[in-house]
Amino acid sequence: MTTPVLTEPDAVAPAAPSLTARLLRGLLPYVLALVAAFLVSGVVIAALGYDVVGAFRTILTTSFRTGFGFTETLTKWVPLTLLALGFTIPLAVNRFNIGGEGQLLVGATAAAGVGIVYAELPMVALMPLLILAGVLAGVVWAGIAAFLMGRFGVNEILSTVLLNFVSFQVLDYAATEIWSDPAAGVAATQRVGEGAVLPDIGGPPGVHAGILLAGLVALATILVTRGTAAGFELRASGTNPRAAGINGIRVEKVAVVALIVGGALGGLAGALEVAGVHGRALEGMQSNFLLLGIIIGLIARGSALWVPVVAFGIAILEVGASSMQRTVGVPAEMVLIIEALILIFLLLSDVIAARLARRAA
Amino acid sequence: MTEFTSLAQLTVVAMVPFLLASLGTMLGGLTGVFSVSQEGVMLLGASVGFLISFATDSSTLGILLAAGVGAVFGFALGWATTVLRLDQFVVGLALFFAATGLAGLLYRVVIGQTATTPRTDTLPRLEIPLLSEIPVLGRVFFSHNALVYFAGLLAVGLYFFLYRTRAGLDLRSVGENPRAADSLGIAVVRTRLWTTTAGGALMGMAGAFLPLVYTGTFTEGIVGGRGWLAIALTFFGGWRPQFIVAGALFFAAMDVIALRTEIAGTDIPGQVLLVIPYVATLIVMIFAFRWARVPQFLGRNYDRESRTG
Repeated sequence: MTTPVLTEPDAVAPAAPSLTARLLRGLLPYVLALVAAFLVSGVVIAALGYDVVGAFRTILTTSFRTGFGFTETLTKWVPLTLLALGFTIPLAVNRFNIGGEGQLLVGATAAAGVGIVYAELPMVALMPLLILAGVLAGVVWAGIAAFLMGRFGVNEILSTVLLNFVSFQVLDYAATEIWSDPAAGVAATQRVGEGAVLPDIGGPPGVHAGILLAGLVALATILVTRGTAAGFELRASGTNPRAAGINGIRVEKVAVVALIVGGALGGLAGALEVAGVHGRALEGMQSNFLLLGIIIGLIARGSALWVPVVAFGIAILEVGASSMQRTVGVPAEMVLIIEALILIFLLLSDVIAARLARRAA
Repeated sequence: MTEFTSLAQLTVVAMVPFLLASLGTMLGGLTGVFSVSQEGVMLLGASVGFLISFATDSSTLGILLAAGVGAVFGFALGWATTVLRLDQFVVGLALFFAATGLAGLLYRVVIGQTATTPRTDTLPRLEIPLLSEIPVLGRVFFSHNALVYFAGLLAVGLYFFLYRTRAGLDLRSVGENPRAADSLGIAVVRTRLWTTTAGGALMGMAGAFLPLVYTGTFTEGIVGGRGWLAIALTFFGGWRPQFIVAGALFFAAMDVIALRTEIAGTDIPGQVLLVIPYVATLIVMIFAFRWARVPQFLGRNYDRESRTG
């Protein structure tokens, strides 16, 4: 199980391809996948007796028709990007972090705790503390899985997933026993203090300032993975663990660190959801960010550069989907199928592209 | 019925979804294909099983169709990883998403929004004549619905097939060393295809068991991690049916203990009880990964033309 997970489609390189040719070959699978996914889901939507054109128009344009839709899209972009990066960083070493949900929830719980207990502090003091608490909680959560993996060889897919189920109860305990807010209707903590609420930028309607931090984190991830020694070790450990090991990189250690960094991003996402969106930690706040983060990471083929772009595309679909359910009546679950189909067709078109390239050679 | 008898009987019932899903995982894994779509395929099985049973009043038909859609997903995994040689984890995750989406969509489309939760009948209990009369043992083992007997017989049957027949040896050789198997004339791709298909069918059945035996209703959280636990169980059982049965007993007991203690009412917070199965699994895996034998070629695709694989 040590072969690289995500490899570029095995291209048989013709003599010095031009930039446009390379770009075309890179984008073609995406275009094919998108078209095929929408075709198939269009057939399904039509078969169920709904208005296909209306459904697709709503999905694709809701984000751009109103300021509110666009704000909502950007707000969703924040956790999606962070969780997707939390998935792709360990993926670079061929480790699967399926625990983004748990890392987000414990991060949110810790952040909410700090925001409630130190509610009186001014924002300059409280906000960094809250974010730090969220990140640390994510680190601890992923750290458990990383420790079990590094020390005992426990499969990280299983440990990270199982910790998700534990995290539901951690949040539930905090929301019903420690800082419970009985008036909230669902299991939810009390609201955090004034200083723990991120201000909006732009607008109205505006996006919470956490988007700047998420953008910075995404930028830093790109720079670190592409331009530093640590990033090189990460990529080398993933693409050829044996060669990396021979050259003195401790692959196991790199994997452990990568998983913990992934957890930190999940925890950060949780803290930002508390400070920027909900003002508290509550049941169900993880939405389906875990699945979407993984889909985004896989569609972006693990590239930190592409994750923010793909995350924006998925955020558009997600915001469009809930609107589609209201206006056209197509259940919002449809969009998860569209997203899964995009991924599946992307994988298939890689195979086709590789076969075409082989035949051409 | 004494407290012990009823607990033991509940535990046997709780073993079934774990057993079916884990045996399904094992089948594909023994030929080298590692599925990670259990959680999604089980949810789809639960959705389909419930809906068919609800619409036709035939739980048998519900279970069969749940197995059918599971088989389709199993076949898709087998096909994508053998014929196309795509990465097993990536395809498995993609199928997990697709199955999860489809499960929710089907329920929404058929049932829609309703004020009351729709219910279907749970599976009838079949008492085995004579055997069910035995004190204690009869209650615990021979007074269940048909799926419980099926799961038990399947485990025994698979054990004999895998370890006492030539075909079983051939099957296992595909997961241990596909190149050697190939050179002996064993059809590697065909073996991988049928094991993943059968494995998927078992996962679908495991999912259908939940609404049709436990609840009579379908909810999106009905699987509750049992699919992932089934993977852990398969590792724990060293990819061998006899140890998987033993492991399923442990997982089921954790399930029942957590449930019972909560009902009995203690000073322990409910949240602590609810994490018992997951935490226990994490701890057990520390040991399981040390002693468990794993098929040599698990998770890796076989390329006949490659010189390195």
